[in-house]
Amino acid sequence: MALSLRKKQLDLITRMLHLHQQQSSPDGGGDGEEEAYKILVMDGPCISLLSPVLRVGDLRRHGVTLLLNIDKARQQVADAPAVYLVRPTPANADRIAADAAAGLYASFHINFSTSVPRPVLERLASATASSRSAHRVARVADQYLDFICLEDGLFSLAQPRAYVALNDPAAADADITALVDAIALGLFCVVATLGSVPIIRCASGGPAEMVAAALDARLRDHLLAKPNLFTEAASSAASSFQRPVLCLFDRNFELSVGIQHDWSYRPLVHDVLSLKLNKLKLPAEKYDLDDSDPFWVANSWSPFPKVAEEIEAQLAKYKQDVDEVNQRTGGGRDGVEFDGTDLIGNTKHLMNAVNSLPELTERKKMIDKHTNIATALLGHIKERSLDGYYECENGMLVNGIVDRNMLLSLLRGKGTKEDKLRLAVTYLLSFEAPPPSELEQVEAALRESEVDMSAFQYVKRIKSLNTQFAAASSTASRSNIVDWAEKLYGQSISAVTAGVKNLLSDVRQLALARTIEALMEGKPNPEVDNYLLFDPRAPRSGTGGQFRGLFREAIVFMIGGGNYIEYRSLIELGQQSQPSKHVIYGATEILNGVEFIQQLAELGQKAGLGGGSNNLSQ
Amino acid sequence: MNHPSRSAPASFRDRTNEFRSAVESARRHVAPSPASSSAASASASGGPLDDSRSAASAHSEFNRRASKIGLGIHQTSQKLARLAKLAKRTSVFDDPTLEIQELTAVVKKDIGALNNAVMDLQVLCNSQNESGNLSKDTTNHSTTVVDNLKNRLMSATKEFKEVLTMRTENLKVHENRRQMFSSSAAKDASNPFIRQRPLVPREASDSNANPAPWASDSASTPLFQRKKTNGDHGASSSSSPAFMQQQQQLAVQQDTYMQSRAEALQNVESTIHELSNIFTQLATMVSQQGELAIRIDENMEETVANVEGAQGQLLKYLNSISSNRWLMMKIFFVLMVFLMIFIFFVA
Repeated sequence: MALSLRKKQLDLITRMLHLHQQQSSPDGGGDGEEEAYKILVMDGPCISLLSPVLRVGDLRRHGVTLLLNIDKARQQVADAPAVYLVRPTPANADRIAADAAAGLYASFHINFSTSVPRPVLERLASATASSRSAHRVARVADQYLDFICLEDGLFSLAQPRAYVALNDPAAADADITALVDAIALGLFCVVATLGSVPIIRCASGGPAEMVAAALDARLRDHLLAKPNLFTEAASSAASSFQRPVLCLFDRNFELSVGIQHDWSYRPLVHDVLSLKLNKLKLPAEKYDLDDSDPFWVANSWSPFPKVAEEIEAQLAKYKQDVDEVNQRTGGGRDGVEFDGTDLIGNTKHLMNAVNSLPELTERKKMIDKHTNIATALLGHIKERSLDGYYECENGMLVNGIVDRNMLLSLLRGKGTKEDKLRLAVTYLLSFEAPPPSELEQVEAALRESEVDMSAFQYVKRIKSLNTQFAAASSTASRSNIVDWAEKLYGQSISAVTAGVKNLLSDVRQLALARTIEALMEGKPNPEVDNYLLFDPRAPRSGTGGQFRGLFREAIVFMIGGGNYIEYRSLIELGQQSQPSKHVIYGATEILNGVEFIQQLAELGQKAGLGGGSNNLSQ
Repeated sequence: MNHPSRSAPASFRDRTNEFRSAVESARRHVAPSPASSSAASASASGGPLDDSRSAASAHSEFNRRASKIGLGIHQTSQKLARLAKLAKRTSVFDDPTLEIQELTAVVKKDIGALNNAVMDLQVLCNSQNESGNLSKDTTNHSTTVVDNLKNRLMSATKEFKEVLTMRTENLKVHENRRQMFSSSAAKDASNPFIRQRPLVPREASDSNANPAPWASDSASTPLFQRKKTNGDHGASSSSSPAFMQQQQQLAVQQDTYMQSRAEALQNVESTIHELSNIFTQLATMVSQQGELAIRIDENMEETVANVEGAQGQLLKYLNSISSNRWLMMKIFFVLMVFLMIFIFFVA
């Protein structure tokens, strides 16, 4: 059974909104349900959790009339039940108790987005007990929903600046432990929503190991209680007997993906126009970009010029359809005779035309939307000559060659400061040991353009300290040939053709995708053999069962910031393998290149490496 | 997903029991404190409870009626589903006409009653909102409830109309098929006699006696006779003298002429009907607001921005009127002038 994170989250939310009453079956088999009209009260993080998944129209259908923010002043609605969905913080508990004391609503159904810690629960209990309003609280539940599910296979934990916090040399141990715990709790929510206990694998050392250990401990503790969330999930649906593999990675594993420029539609929109929570804000207006937009679903991974062609093709088709409709209704009216059948034919045409009107307006709106987006993108691309940056970076990362003139001309030419910085860092990361003369030239060019050097210096330093990740990214380009050669000797034809396709295609396979593939296949592979393995179901003693085997499903989590480029390569991996595997991708937050380079710069400054003027353009 | 009802759904997530026990223990801690404070708190909580109770009673009337209407709509849509299934059956002979007609009448009555109930509810809601001192949230809540009920009723009515349209189309198809099967004999027979039409009236006048009662009947009520003639044709097509057949053909031709007129009238009527449907459809499309596609956080952001904008404006205005040095100077000046004049005249 394919894991669809979004559908499961939606099911949970729907059940919560129906006050956990037994749902009658969809074809109206159950008897009439007393559908109460309720009020939904949420806090800020929960509103952003809900907004990619539900819209106001869907909420109305589930019987929610008002949507309120817990922090604003609210007034009494005497006889409606209220459903709260909040984070389990003491401030929220106080507000809920105040609402209960003031008797704002008839009954309170309180849902916390993750497990509420015992002290907060007691605080709420004592507050409501002292105001004698505890009878109003009908239900208190933990929903384990605390993640933002942007698409079917993409989620984010909305923990900003996790990379900075984890890599900060001056960070206190307690802070890091708290952050690791928070990440583990978020992952626990995801795993609980999916309903099956995964095998956890991660590289040794670094934040990934800490998070894996914390998550493993949490899962073990939870599994001791019977019944628990996983037994319920197993009994409710036909769960697959295969357990998924949860792979944890640190951003330092492959740094270049976080900052490179890309040429496909979706990463471009994310990078240039800053897409947040599937919402896009242009100076003129706002747009939504998610699964309900068929053009977006079909074309978001195509390179930009192809997208522009597609828009034009759709526009031409639309005009053709409109002309056809006009002809049928307008032209038909010319030859009206008082013959019964013809009249009926006319009205049939009219009715068809009217019925197709909404669909045509929808298509027009969609075409307009994408035309505006593409125009805005084009403006930015021209201004910053992003195509040049993309080509240069692609050349360096995939082919391992650098066009020195192009590099220097770009560094001196158009583009924002962040663009130049990103190009320079990519240059740094694509070669193990760049020749020092070139390096000096690059640095001089950067200084000329008054770019803040802290990020650059920081990357230089961690590269010298940690040669491991540099090796990973450089072999990314060359290993395609090696892989292909290996596969040629003794594997099936399909593997060979897949390898050839990789070689010939423009997109290189990221180190991340390669590692995931190796982990999922479970065959011995020198790259991943020394990865740690945690199995929460295995007994603690003993060597921790060596669960080796083929995995069909994988959950990939990137600590420190994920990216649409990685998401795309994982989707491709899932589609290309035989039989098709299912991969879900998540991160502590979804960053675009600009934000990530700012985080790197911040780290550089904290480490005292800031050189030159401090002018990072916002 | 057919499961027997689970006894404790998602029991691990439910912390209600834990909460209740925590409340109990908290209460036990609070109880030993002086009785006066507990009595005071009891009376204090009793006060607002009374007020809320009276407001609640007025409002729960609204709630009760709303939930009754909701239940009614749900049941009606179930009946509509049954009706749709019945109407889809396309066998010519086994037509559950009676059942369909009964069900249609019931559904029509239900929808009419629900419509009236929703109108009443809206009147009640308006009167409550205007007269009572209910909070803004309550008024929003009631208005949204009424809107939601209206939308559901409208979709149920649309479904009903679609079912009826489907039913009439099926009826037409049945009729056509029936005509094809049973009047094929008539059509075959009529063709060779068309050329002999001038002969027929003469012969009809001659042989008026025999098929007279039958022929005159057919002239008067074409519709009824259409069926009768079809049936008669079915019976008598096999064996009858050509003479009788000619009589029949004349009657049938007059008949078919009337019949075609009736059909044309019916067509016109249905066309007009369809046109009116189209117009109402257009009207509803235009008036249906696009609330359905709004995102949740969009609303919140805009209200926040508006509130903050308003606040900023108010602050600016406050500043501008509070620091009005010119005003002070003008007042001072006027006072001085007055004083001067006073001194001047008095002194």
